[in-house]
Amino acid sequence: MTKKAKLLTGISIGAAITVIAMLALPRAGDASTTKKKVVEIRMKGSDTMIQLATAWAEAYRKVNKNVFVNANGGGSGTGFAALQNNSTDICNASREIKKEEVEKVKSVTGKEAKEFTVAHDALAVYSNPANPIKEMSVEELREIWAEGGTIETWDQINPAMKGKITLFGRQNNSGTYEYFREHICGKKDGKQREFRGGISEMNGSSEVVENVARTPTGLGYSGMGYKTPKVNWLKVSNKKGEAGVEPGADVARSGKYPISRKLYLYTAGDPSPEVKAFIDWILSPAGQKIVDQEGFVSLKK
Amino acid sequence: MSQSATVESKKKLGPAGTIERPVTWVGRMSGRVTNARGKIRLLDRFEKPIEWLIRICGWSSIIGVCAIFFFIFREAAPMVPKLDWVHFFTSPRWIPNPAPGNEASFGALALLAGTFSTTFIALILCVPIGLGAAVYISEFAKGKVRETLKIVIELLAAIPSIVWGFIGLMVLGPIIQQIFSAAPGSWWGHTMVMLRLASSETGAAQGTNLFTGGAILALMSVPVVVSLSEDALRAVPDSYREAALALGANTWETVRRVLFPAARNGLLAACMLGMGRAIGETMAVLLATGHNNRIPTALTDPVRTMTATIAAEMGETVHGDSHYQVLFILGIVLFVITCSINVISDIIVKGIKKGNKA
Repeated sequence: MTKKAKLLTGISIGAAITVIAMLALPRAGDASTTKKKVVEIRMKGSDTMIQLATAWAEAYRKVNKNVFVNANGGGSGTGFAALQNNSTDICNASREIKKEEVEKVKSVTGKEAKEFTVAHDALAVYSNPANPIKEMSVEELREIWAEGGTIETWDQINPAMKGKITLFGRQNNSGTYEYFREHICGKKDGKQREFRGGISEMNGSSEVVENVARTPTGLGYSGMGYKTPKVNWLKVSNKKGEAGVEPGADVARSGKYPISRKLYLYTAGDPSPEVKAFIDWILSPAGQKIVDQEGFVSLKK
Repeated sequence: MSQSATVESKKKLGPAGTIERPVTWVGRMSGRVTNARGKIRLLDRFEKPIEWLIRICGWSSIIGVCAIFFFIFREAAPMVPKLDWVHFFTSPRWIPNPAPGNEASFGALALLAGTFSTTFIALILCVPIGLGAAVYISEFAKGKVRETLKIVIELLAAIPSIVWGFIGLMVLGPIIQQIFSAAPGSWWGHTMVMLRLASSETGAAQGTNLFTGGAILALMSVPVVVSLSEDALRAVPDSYREAALALGANTWETVRRVLFPAARNGLLAACMLGMGRAIGETMAVLLATGHNNRIPTALTDPVRTMTATIAAEMGETVHGDSHYQVLFILGIVLFVITCSINVISDIIVKGIKKGNKA
C-alpha cells in the first residue's frame, strides 16, 4: 500500500464511523429521555422555609427519581415575584399572599394563585438564660419593638433585670420580619406600626439566636426551629396578667400561642401533574414527618 | 489591511534602521521586503497597533469611571426629583419595606452617621499606627528588618475583606464584648457610660459594633497609610537629614522637626487615601458593625453603614422600584464622598511634588 492509499482508507473509515455515530446517537438520546424524563420542579421563597424545602427536596428524590426539586430562598416576597415571572413553579411563603400580589399574578400569568397550607410555625421570642425575666405579654413586646414604644430598659418590665434591652431582628425583606411586625407591633390609628430604630437586623434566623446567646441583655425573635441550649424561650401571653404560653406544637396548631402562623405553598393556577404529586406527598404523613424533623409544626393529623 | 497601512506609513517615515538585520518570517510571508536595508522589523510593523492598544488601555479607566457614574445615575435618576432630600439627610427613619398601607421612609441620617463614625474611629486608630510604622521603616529599620516589614505590611493589604469581617465577627467582637461589659451598678459600668464608651451600664450590648468595625477598618487601611507615607518620607532629600544631623539633631528630632514638616503634604494624602479605603469598605463592616440603624451615642453602639445597607438590601429589591433607586442614590452619595476625598488628596500630592522641585 502506498502512503496515499493508507491515508484514503483511514479517512473513509473515520468518515464511516462519524456517520454511524451521528445516526445512532440521537436515537440513543431519545431512548434515554423517554425512559426516564427528569422533570425539574422549582421552589422559591421564604427563607424561613428554606431548610424545610431542601429537606423535602432531598427526601422526594428517593420517592420519585424522575423528579428533581430545586429549592431556593430569597424571602416570601421574592418567591411571589418569581411566581409572576414564571421563574418558579412553587412559591414557598411564610405569610399569606397580599391582595396586590394576587392581582399581579393574575394580570401577568392570567391564572389565579392557588394556596396550600403545609405546616404551622410559631415565632419564638428568645432571651439570654442569664435573664431572670421568663414571661412577657404581647403588649409589653409591642412597647419594646414598635416605633414610639415606651419600654427601653429591662427594669421597666421587672426590676430584677437591669440594662438596656438589646434588640435583634431580621432584615427588612424577610417574611419573619413582616410577620413579627404585623403580629407584635400592632396598629395605631388604623395604620400598621413599624419597628423602632436601633434594632440590629440580622441576615439569618440562626444569627439572631446566636447573638441573643452571646448578649445577656439581648432579646430577639426567630423561628421555633432555631432553639439551642444557650437561649431561652420567653412565655408569651395575650394580655398582661394572663399566664404565658411556651411555644410548642399543640399551642401553635390550636392558635393558643399568640405568635403562631401557617406556612404556605402557592402555585399559579392548578399545578402540573408532577407538582401536584409533590404537593400531595408533602401533605402526606411522609412529608409531614419532615416538617416535624425540621423544627416546624406539622398539620393536624 | 490595517497592517499594510502601517507598513506604508512606516516606509514614508523612513527605514527602521540602517544596520542589516535578518529577514523576519512576517517579512518573508508578505513578500514586500526585497531589500534588507529598507526592510521593516517585526516590532516596527506592530508599533502603531500596539501604540493604539496602550492608548486605549490608558483611556479605558476614564471611560470606566464615566460609565460607572452614568450607570449609577441612570438607575437613580427617576428618584432624584421624587425623593424628599431634606428628609433623606435629616431623618434616621429608614423603613424601605413598610407594612401595607404605610409609606416608605428613606431617612439616611443614621446610615451617614454610621459610615462617618466607623471611618472616624478607623482614622483615629490607623493614622498613628500607620505613621509610626512608616517612620520606623523609613528612618529606623535597616537592611533585612526593613525589607521584611515592608513585605509583611503589603501582605496585610492582600487579605480579602470578607476575612477581615469574619475576624471582626468571630475573634475581635467577643473580646471587645468581654472588655466592655460590667455588672449593673459597678464602677466600670458608670465609668463607661460617663466616658461614652458604652451607652448602657451593662456595657457593650453586642460584640459587633462601631468600635469593632472601626478597628477592623483601621487594620485594613494601615497598609495604604504605611506604604504611601513611607514614600513621602523617602521623597524628602537626604540633604535635609544631613543638615539636621550637622546641627546636632538625633533621629527622633530629625523626624519630628525636619521630615514631618517637609513631607507634610504626602503624609496628609496618605491618610486621606486610607480614609477613602475605610469609607468604601463593605463586606467587613457588614459583618463587624452589627447592622443596626441608629445614630451612635457611644463607642460600642452598633451601627450600620451606607455600603452595608446597599449590600444587604440590593439583592431583594425589585428593579426600578423606589427602594432600588434610593439604594442607587446612596451609591451616588458614597461616590461623591470618595471622589472628593481622592481629588483633595490628589491636589495635596501635587502640592508636595511642586514643593520638592523648588
